[in-house]
Amino acid sequence: MGALGRFFKDIGKNKAMLAMVLPATLWFIFFSYLPMAGMVVAFKEYRYSRDGFLASIIESKWVGLQNFKFLFSTNDAYIITRNTVLYNIFFIVLGLVIAVAMAIMLAEIANKRLAKVYQTGMFLPYFLSWVIVGYFVYSFLSMDKGVVNQIFGWFGIDPLNWYSNPTYWPIIIVVVFLWKSVGYNSVIYLAAIMGIDKSLYEAAMIDGANKWQQIRNITIPMLTPLITILTLLAIGKIFYADFGLFYQVPRDSGTLYSVTNVIDTYVYRGLKSTGEIGMSTAAGLYQSLIGFILVITSNGIVRKFNKDNALF
Amino acid sequence: MKNKKIKFMPALALLLIVSIMLSACGGGKSDNAEGTAEKPVELIWYTIGTPQKDVDKVMAEVSKYTAEKIGVTIKMNMIDWGDYSQKLQVMTASGEAVDIMFTASWAFDYVQNARKGAFMQIDDLLAEYGKGIVDTLDPAFLEGSKIDGRNYGIPANKELPAQEVWRFNKQLVDKYKLDISNVYTLESLEPLLKTIKENEPDVYPLAVDKNQMPYVPYDYVIEKLPMGVSLDTTDYKIVNVLDSPEMKQMLNTMHKYYKVGYIPTEAATMDSLTDVQSTGKWFADRATSQPFADNLWSASYGYPVVSTPASEALIYNWSVMGSMQAISANSKYPEKAMEFLNLLNTDPVLRNMIDSGIEDVHYKKVSDTVMENLDESKNYDMPTFSLGNLMLTYLNPTDPDNKWEEFKKFNDAGTTAPLLGFNFDTSKVTTEIAAVQNVREEYWAPLMSGTVDPEVYLPRANEKFKAAGLDKIMEEAQLQLDEWRAANK
Repeated sequence: MGALGRFFKDIGKNKAMLAMVLPATLWFIFFSYLPMAGMVVAFKEYRYSRDGFLASIIESKWVGLQNFKFLFSTNDAYIITRNTVLYNIFFIVLGLVIAVAMAIMLAEIANKRLAKVYQTGMFLPYFLSWVIVGYFVYSFLSMDKGVVNQIFGWFGIDPLNWYSNPTYWPIIIVVVFLWKSVGYNSVIYLAAIMGIDKSLYEAAMIDGANKWQQIRNITIPMLTPLITILTLLAIGKIFYADFGLFYQVPRDSGTLYSVTNVIDTYVYRGLKSTGEIGMSTAAGLYQSLIGFILVITSNGIVRKFNKDNALF
Repeated sequence: MKNKKIKFMPALALLLIVSIMLSACGGGKSDNAEGTAEKPVELIWYTIGTPQKDVDKVMAEVSKYTAEKIGVTIKMNMIDWGDYSQKLQVMTASGEAVDIMFTASWAFDYVQNARKGAFMQIDDLLAEYGKGIVDTLDPAFLEGSKIDGRNYGIPANKELPAQEVWRFNKQLVDKYKLDISNVYTLESLEPLLKTIKENEPDVYPLAVDKNQMPYVPYDYVIEKLPMGVSLDTTDYKIVNVLDSPEMKQMLNTMHKYYKVGYIPTEAATMDSLTDVQSTGKWFADRATSQPFADNLWSASYGYPVVSTPASEALIYNWSVMGSMQAISANSKYPEKAMEFLNLLNTDPVLRNMIDSGIEDVHYKKVSDTVMENLDESKNYDMPTFSLGNLMLTYLNPTDPDNKWEEFKKFNDAGTTAPLLGFNFDTSKVTTEIAAVQNVREEYWAPLMSGTVDPEVYLPRANEKFKAAGLDKIMEEAQLQLDEWRAANK
C-alpha cells in the first residue's frame, strides 16, 4: 500500500506540473514507445495477413539477422558508412562553428533592424524543401544553361559536366547543407546569447576587456552547455543522413554515387522496388542502435569532464 | 526521482497492453444478409491516376447502377501516378480496408505483392462469379498472369503484345523531307539525326531520359536487371545482358551519338521528357506502341507524331500484366468484388460510366459506340487503360471505326516471348537483389543513355554486379526457369 499511496500522493502534489508534461508524454507513448514494438519486423520476413497488421507481424516467419545482411553484403557498405559518418562530422563541426560565429555577429550588430533583416535572410533557406534547393543548385550547375558554366564561358574555361564529375561534390554538398541549416542553428544560439546577463559584459568593460576578450571569456563559456547538448544530439544522428540532400541535390546521378551514396539513399535504392519492410526496418534499427551507443558514449565522455554539461 | 520512474512502469505497461488489445479487436465480422439491392455492401476501390474532382459524384451514379444489378456500392479512391506504389505498399502492410486495387508490372508490382500475400487468390472466385471475364478476355491474359499456376488479378483486355517503335516529330520530318520508312535499327537513324543536328541546334535529335534503354532482343527475367534470355533462345539459358554482343554494340552506338551531340547532355539525370515533348523540341525517340498510337500521341502533344517499328510485336510478362485489378487479401466481400469486376469487364454501361462519367454531364453519345467529351470531362478525366476491358469503351469521334478489331488483330498476330508465364520468385535472393539494385542505379542511366564510355564503364559495372551477387541471382533464376519449363512442357 505504502508505495502506491506515495505514488498517488506524489501525483497530487505535482498536479500542475504533470498536467503540463501530459501532452508530450502521451505523444511519446503513442508515436515513440508504442511503435517500438514494431522493431520485431526487422527479424522477420514480413508477409501480409488478411487479419490486419498485428496478425501479419505475428504470422510472419522469423529470419534472424537475414534482413541486416544486405547492408553489409557488398563493398558498398564501406563507402556508404564512410560517406555518412564523414559528411556528418563535417556538418557537426562546421555547422557549430559557423552558427555560433553568426550568432555572435548578429548579437553584436548595433543596428537591430539590420540584424533582424540578416537573421531572417539566413533563416529563410531552412524552410525550403530539398527538392526546391535541388533545383536552385541545378540552375547553377546545369551543363547547358547553368550560371557557373556561363561564367566559365566568359573566361574561356570549358564548361564542366558537374553532374557526372564527383571531384567537387563533397564541397558542394557541405556548402549547400550549411547554407540551408546555419540560419536555423544560429537563431538558437542567438536566443541563448540574448539570455546572458548584461551585467557580466558591463563588469568586463569596466575592467577594460575588449570585444574579443568578452566573447572568449563570457559569451562562449555561457554558450557551452547549449553547444554540448546540441552537439550530443547531433552525434546521436551521425548514422542518419539527410535523404533529400543526398538524393535531390545531386539529382540522383549514378556517376556521383561514390561521394553521394549514404546509408539512407542506399536503403532507398535497394528496397524501393522490392518493398521488403523487414529489410528497411532492419536498416533503421541498425542506425538507431549505433546512434544510441554513440550518444551514450559521448555523453559519458562529457560527463567525465563536466558533469553539469552532460545530457543525463 | 529514480523510484518514481519505476513506479510508472506498471501503468505504462498496462496502457500498452490495453491499446494493443483494442487495436487487435478492431475488425468486426460482417453481416451475411448484406449485398442485395436493398442493402448493398460498399466496395472500396483504389486505383491509379491523378485524383479527379468528380469521382464521388460519378461513383454515386455508378453505385445506383451496381446496387440494382449486383447489390454493391462503390467508393473509389484515386492515388496519383508517382505515389501509388508506395501508398499501396503501406496500406497493404498495415492492413487498411481495401477491396479492389489496381496493380501492374510497373505500379504496385503484381508478382511481388501477390507472393507477399497482398492479393486474394481468385481461381475459385473466377470460376464461380467471373465467367464473363473468362469468356471475353484473350486467354493469353489470364494464362500469362498466373503466378505459380494461380491467378491473383484480372488483367484489362487491351493490346497484348508490346512493340517498340521509333517516334518522330512529324513537323521536322516534313520540313526536311526525311524518309523514315527505312529506319529500323538504332544505327539506321544516324543520317536523319545528322540532318537535324546540323539544321536545328535547339532540338534534341534523339530524346533520351534516364529511364530509357536501347532495345536488345532479350527477354528480361526482372525488368531493368541485366539478366535475360535471348528472344530466339532454344536452351533457355539466362545470361548477363550487359555481356551480350548486341548490348555492347548498342551502347557503343549510343555513346557515339552522345559524343556528337545527338543525345541531350543531361540525359542520365533527366527524369522525363515531358517538357521536351510539350515544347516539341525533339526529333526522334523510342516508345512502346499499340494500334493507332500515333493518333493518341498526336492528340496529347498537340502536334503530329509518326512512328515506325523498331522491333517485332511480342507478348511479354510485363505487357500482359500492364494493367490489372486485384481483390485485396483482406477484402470482406471477395465474392461481391469479383461480381463487380465481372460486370466491369462485360457491361458497356458500367465500363463507360467509370471511364467517362455521367452521360450528358461529362460526355454525350454521338452514336451507339461513339461519344464526345463535354467541357465537364475535365473534372473526370480517367486513365482508360487502367480500369478494365478497354474494348467496351466508346470510341472518340476521331477514332477509326475498326479500332477494336485492329486491336484483336494485333493481339492475334503477336508471338510469345520465351519467358511468358514464368515469374521469378525472388524470396531466396532478396539480399542480393537489394545490393544489385544499388549497382544498377549507379551505372544504368549513365551507360544506357550513352553518357559514359562503355569501354571503361561496362567492365566496371559488370565487376560490381558480380560482387553484389548477380551470379547467384542468375543461378537461382535458372534453377526456377528449368523447373518451370519441365512443368510446362
